[in-house]
Amino acid sequence: MVDSLQLALTNLLTPAILFFLLGFGAGWFKSDLAVPEGAAKTLALVLMLSIGFKGGVEAARAGLSPDFLKAAGVGLTLSFGIPIIAFGVLKVISRLDRTTAAATAAHYGSVSIVTFVAGTEFLRISGVPFGGYMVAVVALMETPAILSALILAGGGAAGRQGLRGELFREVALNGSVVLLIGAFIVGLLSGDAGMSKMEVFVGPVFQGVLVLFLLDMGLVAARRLSAARSLTLPLIAFAICMPLLSSMLSLGLSLALGLSPGNAAVLAILAASASYIAVPAAMRIALPDADPGVYLTLSLAVTFPFNLVFGIPLYTAATAALIG
Amino acid sequence: MQLSKRKKLEIIVEAPVLRRVETFLAEAGVRGWTVLPSLAGAGDSGEWRSGDFTPGQEKRLIFALVTTEVADRVLARLADFFADYPGVVAVSDVEVMRGEKF
Repeated sequence: MVDSLQLALTNLLTPAILFFLLGFGAGWFKSDLAVPEGAAKTLALVLMLSIGFKGGVEAARAGLSPDFLKAAGVGLTLSFGIPIIAFGVLKVISRLDRTTAAATAAHYGSVSIVTFVAGTEFLRISGVPFGGYMVAVVALMETPAILSALILAGGGAAGRQGLRGELFREVALNGSVVLLIGAFIVGLLSGDAGMSKMEVFVGPVFQGVLVLFLLDMGLVAARRLSAARSLTLPLIAFAICMPLLSSMLSLGLSLALGLSPGNAAVLAILAASASYIAVPAAMRIALPDADPGVYLTLSLAVTFPFNLVFGIPLYTAATAALIG
Repeated sequence: MQLSKRKKLEIIVEAPVLRRVETFLAEAGVRGWTVLPSLAGAGDSGEWRSGDFTPGQEKRLIFALVTTEVADRVLARLADFFADYPGVVAVSDVEVMRGEKF
């Protein structure tokens, strides 16, 4: 218990989380503090490039481990399965229409790359080792949830209107995923020799970029929350309890398959995270009738801050208690 | 100066479906169009400004000048599309220079 509290406090006092809270406060009180749109996109590119590359170099160092296939299997299962559970829960606790419930469920099955970045940074400072190939697992977990949601919604507009190509492009060729996986492969191929050329950029520079990026995320999340119109208490409870449930499911699967504690912790963080970039964009094509006021607000303004501040240390402590 | 009567089409769509709508225009025989970004607005889903975080909901304005016959073909195709997707279509009568280009 003391350890868990210590972990929570360690997380809370990192510059990344403190700057996120600064951004959140500034956004909530309507400060004019802003990260220019172009700069925010550049910061996101640096983040994707850095974590992809670092993951690739670490994967090259460690070689292919059987844990990778297990982690990929757990990740895919969760991404397909979580939306089905989330949809069932939403139908019971809320009056959301079928399409909005399915779209919201997709967000919870898919993942947030920034939560992954913050989570892995936290694991590093806590001294919990995990496989560099988990970056590839992140990419695998982005899409299956969207397919589950389409089935739950009973098909979508994209099929009717011949927009499957656009949907595929938005999902599979989404810029963040292409850069993440591309940088992973570059890291894998160039290995330690490549790292010696890139270490300032993906090391110290990355830390600064992460902090600025999270400052912006705080601003964005607070503005979204203060403008929210369709949030009800059961929906807010869902956005906090669903990540807890998903992370426990993930830990159960990791335990059954004998995954290492580090990889199990990363998977628990990924399972708990909810997408707020790739899936919302895909939903505008796949299920345009679904209400972004519900799904984007829940994933970006409630689940993301919850995971960042409380969830990550909690899932890490739970992993340590169950598997460590 | 010689002016010709044409139709002006103004179509607002969300960015992810822009390419699809451009395909409709090409198929209907529209010879040229211009796409503009949007800065701010308000509608069914509330008020928004450029810089707000709204993945997939960024708006694009397509501007095209066409003959009445082409405008009818575009509208017939868009009516079906906008049964599923959000958007705005406005048609107005205009006079243009160099009418042979449209």
